Amino acid sequence: MIWKITLFVLMCFVIITGIAFPIVPKPSSWMQFPIIPGLEEKAKIIFFHVPTAWLSVVAFLMAMVYGIKYLRNKNLDDDSRSSASLQLGMMFCILATVTGSIWAKFNWGSFWSWDPRETSIFILLLIYGSLFALRSAIENEEKRARLSAVYSIIAFLTVPFFIFIMPRIMMGLHPGSLEIDPVTNQVVAGTNPVVDFKMNGSMRLVFFTSLFAFTILYYWMWSIRSRAIIIKENLSKKLN
Amino acid sequence: MESGFLGFLEKNSIYIVMSIVLVVWAGIFIFLLNTDKRLKAIEKELKEK
Repeated sequence: MIWKITLFVLMCFVIITGIAFPIVPKPSSWMQFPIIPGLEEKAKIIFFHVPTAWLSVVAFLMAMVYGIKYLRNKNLDDDSRSSASLQLGMMFCILATVTGSIWAKFNWGSFWSWDPRETSIFILLLIYGSLFALRSAIENEEKRARLSAVYSIIAFLTVPFFIFIMPRIMMGLHPGSLEIDPVTNQVVAGTNPVVDFKMNGSMRLVFFTSLFAFTILYYWMWSIRSRAIIIKENLSKKLN
Repeated sequence: MESGFLGFLEKNSIYIVMSIVLVVWAGIFIFLLNTDKRLKAIEKELKEK
């Protein structure tokens, strides 16, 4: 119960500070965030958009871990846990795409610009989307669990590349990407204010609290979803 | 034009957004708490049978 109350308090803290703290050119107190030229008030998306993308990585990782567990123990409950995590991962992946796309319209001028991160999340959606098609196409429980476990392991191998590596070695609009220096015409690690994202102490605190709170929220949602699937499977076995 | 607290909210509409998001979060939290409680009850019932 304590961790649920902690989650509630932390999330309230993130919502209050993340939305209400003003963004000013030169912060003079801890209650102010620094201005990032080109982003201004829109920089606040970082407290809500990044955690959703982070959670999709965590969820896909958990799906892989429980996939491996299933392959070792052949316990169908592990497959249910893996499946619950896949569903949540997909949901957070869609949320990250939609929130980012709405934001991009007002900051970069279009809903979609095939930035490396946008491309990689699109490919992830396709990879994991086809896993759902695969799961729904197989009737036999054990065969479905085995194939899904193997697929989720192979699919996760692509995640670090798409989320952490590709956006950092290619030119793009997201923070952390490379860009072309307009003066020397050479590829450099972000000098554009939008790409070279600098947070101050309080902004970093809210950001990491947000990541932490969202991770607890994911754990809770995953536990509820997987228990519900396990109960459903057990009941349908009893009834048949 | 309202005065006092309502007037303050009228001039600083970001706080209205903040309160709405807080209410939505409280709703999601209560929903999760209830679902968790119900699942626990079902799990207990299934164990007893």
